[in-house]
Amino acid sequence: MSLPMLDPVLAHTAAAALSAILLIGAVQKLSTLATFTETLAQYQLLPESALRPVAWLFPLAEAVAGTLLLVQESRSAGMAMAMLVLLLATAAVAINVRRGRTHFDCGCGTGSHTPVGWSLVARNAVLLGLLLVCGLPQLERATTWLDAFSVLSGTVFLLGTYLTVNTLLANAPRLAHLRKSL
Amino acid sequence: MTTTLIVSNVLLWIAVMVLLVAVMALARQIGILYERVAPMGALMMDSGPKVGDPALQIELPSLTGGSVKLGAHGPRSTLVFFLSPTCPVCKKLLPILDSVRRAESSWLNVVLASDGDTTEHVGFIERAGLQSFPYVVSAQLGMHYRVSKLPYALLTDEHGQIAAKGLVNSREQLESLFAARDLGVASVQAYLDEPHLHKEHA
Repeated sequence: MSLPMLDPVLAHTAAAALSAILLIGAVQKLSTLATFTETLAQYQLLPESALRPVAWLFPLAEAVAGTLLLVQESRSAGMAMAMLVLLLATAAVAINVRRGRTHFDCGCGTGSHTPVGWSLVARNAVLLGLLLVCGLPQLERATTWLDAFSVLSGTVFLLGTYLTVNTLLANAPRLAHLRKSL
Repeated sequence: MTTTLIVSNVLLWIAVMVLLVAVMALARQIGILYERVAPMGALMMDSGPKVGDPALQIELPSLTGGSVKLGAHGPRSTLVFFLSPTCPVCKKLLPILDSVRRAESSWLNVVLASDGDTTEHVGFIERAGLQSFPYVVSAQLGMHYRVSKLPYALLTDEHGQIAAKGLVNSREQLESLFAARDLGVASVQAYLDEPHLHKEHA
């Protein structure tokens, strides 16, 4: 069975959007490093001595993955790295949800206080799916300016959707509190 | 024909972008709305020292005269109320805080805390008539307890330990801090999450 051939526009769009998501996350985490260290402690997965190095290394890995994804030549390396980063983060979230610890910010780095929960795992699964899209074999065809426009618009669209989903995830526990109190 | 499709494609993308911006703005506005109307307000980011941990021992000068010792052992508990002159909910809570202070005066000291420019706070104390409260200005205090949203309250007990803490938007939440202390739960949020307690309190 052969994999479906993918139009290059779709692959480029997926890669660019993931790259942007990773880079935004990395910049936010590094700019609020103290908060991110505190968030890592909340995950209760690492010994205290490992918190500070990991708080540095994780966003750095994110940034490297995002940068590698952006350039077509290094995309496969970027995909592997992004896969690793996403799987690690998702595993950390899933372990904490299993433990019943959901009352803390995920530290995803998009500004909104998105709490840890299964919906976050689902969101990351979608991102992983998007990552797999970049890896599908691509159709060889000549591209024009309109393709570049489509990639740009598509990337902005995916990024906006990602931010909206995060805001809605952050809103969900507030809505739950409101429902309970009425 | 191709030109027609290109024009329609570009137009559609523009429409998608406009709608995307609208959806993002709406989601954000709904979030703000929940924060304002919900009894708990925002999700408390449970960072900083935990309940039961020793409180930060610090002595700070009060803008209303004298100095305030925080986190020390002593016969009385202390409620540190973090506020800012620019926070409307804080202003709404001030008379409530005053009445709580009167009602609980047998065991509780109330201290107001903020950070930033001192002259601004002096003006605020004047306008809001807070001369009777100890009022400290310290960035370190807020940083230590990771106070990210206001109004925020922190209750320390007579052993110099953190008894309860959390974002407070109403008298109920302020009083629930005392209930949290009595019940030994971590926060207003943990308190509200207990379904039976919640019904009692609603």
